[in-house]
Amino acid sequence: MKRRTLLLSAAGAAGALIVGWGVLPPRSRLGRGSFMLPGESEFALNGWIKVATDGSVILAMPRSEMGQGVYTALPMLAAEELDVPLSAMRLEQAGADTIYGNVAILLGSLPFHPRDEESEDGFARTKVKAGRWIVSKVARELGINATGGSTSVSDAWQTVREAAATARASLLGAASLQWRLPIEELIVKDGVISHPSGKSAGYGEMAKFAAATPAGEVRLKNARDWKIIGRPYPRLDVPHKVDGSARFGIDVRLPGMKFAVLRLCPMLGGSPGAIDPEAALKMPGVERIVMLPAYAGSTAGFAVVGKSYWHAKRAADAVQLQWQQRPAGALDSKRIASELEAAVRDRDGHVFHSVGDVEAAESRAARHIESWYSAPYLAHATLEPMNCTARVSGGKVEVWAPTQVPEMCRSVAARVAGVRPEDVDLHVTLIGGAFGRRLEVDYAAFAVRVAMDCEGSAVQLIWPREEDMTHDFYRPMQAARLRASIDTDGAITSLRIKSAGDAISPRWLERGMPGLAGPFDTPDKTTSEGLFDLPYGFGHQHMEHVATHMGVPVGFWRSVGHSHNAFISESFIDELAFATKRDPLQFRRDWLRHSPQHLAVLELAAEKAGWDSALPAGWARGVAIHESFGTIVAQVAEVSIEGGSPRVHRVVCALDCGVVVNPGIVAQQIEGGVIFALSAALHGVIDIADGVVQQRNFPSYEMLKMRRAPRVETYLVSSSRPPAGIGEPAVPPLAPAVANALFVLTGKRHRSLPFV
Amino acid sequence: MDLQINGKAVTVEAEPEMPLLWVLRDLLGMTGTKFGCGVGECRACTVRVDGQAMPSCLVSVAAVAGKKIQTIEGLGAPGKPHALQQAWIAEQVPQCGYCQSGMLMAAAALLEKTPKPSDAQIDDAIVNICRCGTYQRVRAAIKRAAGVKT
Repeated sequence: MKRRTLLLSAAGAAGALIVGWGVLPPRSRLGRGSFMLPGESEFALNGWIKVATDGSVILAMPRSEMGQGVYTALPMLAAEELDVPLSAMRLEQAGADTIYGNVAILLGSLPFHPRDEESEDGFARTKVKAGRWIVSKVARELGINATGGSTSVSDAWQTVREAAATARASLLGAASLQWRLPIEELIVKDGVISHPSGKSAGYGEMAKFAAATPAGEVRLKNARDWKIIGRPYPRLDVPHKVDGSARFGIDVRLPGMKFAVLRLCPMLGGSPGAIDPEAALKMPGVERIVMLPAYAGSTAGFAVVGKSYWHAKRAADAVQLQWQQRPAGALDSKRIASELEAAVRDRDGHVFHSVGDVEAAESRAARHIESWYSAPYLAHATLEPMNCTARVSGGKVEVWAPTQVPEMCRSVAARVAGVRPEDVDLHVTLIGGAFGRRLEVDYAAFAVRVAMDCEGSAVQLIWPREEDMTHDFYRPMQAARLRASIDTDGAITSLRIKSAGDAISPRWLERGMPGLAGPFDTPDKTTSEGLFDLPYGFGHQHMEHVATHMGVPVGFWRSVGHSHNAFISESFIDELAFATKRDPLQFRRDWLRHSPQHLAVLELAAEKAGWDSALPAGWARGVAIHESFGTIVAQVAEVSIEGGSPRVHRVVCALDCGVVVNPGIVAQQIEGGVIFALSAALHGVIDIADGVVQQRNFPSYEMLKMRRAPRVETYLVSSSRPPAGIGEPAVPPLAPAVANALFVLTGKRHRSLPFV
Repeated sequence: MDLQINGKAVTVEAEPEMPLLWVLRDLLGMTGTKFGCGVGECRACTVRVDGQAMPSCLVSVAAVAGKKIQTIEGLGAPGKPHALQQAWIAEQVPQCGYCQSGMLMAAAALLEKTPKPSDAQIDDAIVNICRCGTYQRVRAAIKRAAGVKT
């Protein structure tokens, strides 16, 4: 009775009543109070919310804070529905139950075109609905806890609000019973329940009764009643980040803790041969050496344990050894680049999108435009290098990890130590940048292995920057051939894209969740996203991708496939504009005329950028629009050439990300995404020769600094659809916006990255 | 080694060539100063020595013995944040926050030497790497703390 009431109330609030078979929602994620940690003077009302006798509210936090603001955005959702001030909210790491898993991230991995749900083709619509329904049920049962895919807020949107609203209903129900007054007459303000007759009590007083009171009717607030959602509340974690008190993974300190530093075979996939650690072990402050097998897709090596990073690193550098090349032969990025081109030419791929008849359109066309594009391997280069702290003692394992995937870390820790997952205590710390690197579990596996040799002592295993940069899970290299048909009127009649590059998801599953990895690779959306899912109204389209497996470890890099594919598609769209002698903005307007959502974002960017206004001499503008993770972003970049290199002065960003929970946080993520993307577009390249990554530290993997950072402006299109992603969507359109400006400036079309 | 850190005398047993960064983090447990690259490029390890901003990963502890060392823990006091820290909060600068200790130290050194810095002077002083892209807010916060109009 309770669940149906909740469903109908929530659906009623959303303005759409859902009936019928096949739309029964996934199993409730409300959970039970026992899922939360028992606390002195704290009463758990469900799996997400505890109320303390002092009136503070504790939210189970399932996601990791890596700068994207979830430690503020999620409590905002709870505080809103509970009617408590944001200052009353506290956080507690969520446990291992599947209710804390991320459903939105799996839904986001479905290879559907964003417009399929509105397609005129009834079969396409049903396919999407059925696919989403099945995946949300499966995702709910699997309960994979991952922070990524720009899904934390969208996944929490219903779940956290419902949990908070349910808790509120229990608290009101308890007051109603205690006071013998009708629940409809009770008022809540700032965590205090009152009645016109004068009765009043804070949540703290009612908590213990509420824990025993089932929630009656549960309603989510109407948007017009929001007091917290939509406001730019200052972030709750900021004060700790300006006084040195914020603790990242690398800042974990425990009594008697040792420090360890690793050194891995410089050749990816290689291993240590003959080793002589004698000289190293004699050095002061050094305790032992631990050999490390290639865990979780990484490369083998060793770690030295000592009394500080510096003591251990000095000794690690002094270890004499031979390294052995990878059995399958040395990896080489130049060779891989030509193999990818050959794959596009000669191999068949998976067709991700096909409309109309591209062959026929191509044979009819007045002329064609064909271009080849490519993008290099990229490193994540998080400022906090990979690290993890572990202690193994009497069959129990404790791990402190700056991780995006706590349960996967727990699982690999258990496998390495030979214990059950229940015997692993995993603590998630703040993360000093992730960008997808910490979706891996190699850093946890290595740390646990070292800790096993230091029985009873906590050990923090730190990766020197050189090891971090040369043993990453790189953004895959990609090659693509694009061909468009143009008729005598200059209209684009077809677009054919064939691309080649590594699939990431099957490799990631093999590394972190081997039980879920299949016997063969299923098509991985990340390879073609940004190419197959374009919003332009070209009548005939065919997008095909050849998934390769080159051997270089590949992983998810902020905005994943969109990061290279948007550069490719939005640069080619610009080529088509110029080929048909149209202004690039007008060209996009024309081909997006059926999509008011895209047009609104494009127009806002153009307006705020003053598209038709004069620029200083030697400056040019470029535009790009791209949809990713449910959010549409348009950017206009103002660029000049300074000192022989592109200098980006200003980037105007307009976006539609659905309901905005915290506009201040959205602006931060847009600014951050632009800078991240610009660094990569200007300088980012990872070269591999003889199996060795050539870029070892920041000087050779150049980073954008203050001096050449553009001013970024953020403008929001108002929307009432549920919140979509903001962590990644600002990244994809940046490289093409800049490339498009450079074309106007120099007449040279960049078809590969980086620009410099 | 006798050190002066944040106005307090601290004695530590360390090899003279041990970098100050690791003395602070691993021997003294002062984790506010961060490790990012070890080669003086990212500046997450920035501390102030006799007022001057330096990368502590490249400074040996022997070289700073007896000098006035300031770390992020010594910027402002409990309940009395420094103007820069207040500005950092007002402008909502930090995202992941890992680079921010170094940024604040570099900014503090800049403002003590140049109370009303120009954009070019800010560019010269703030060479820290921020992977989250907080640069424009760092600039705004420095100007706010300095009372300089944007």
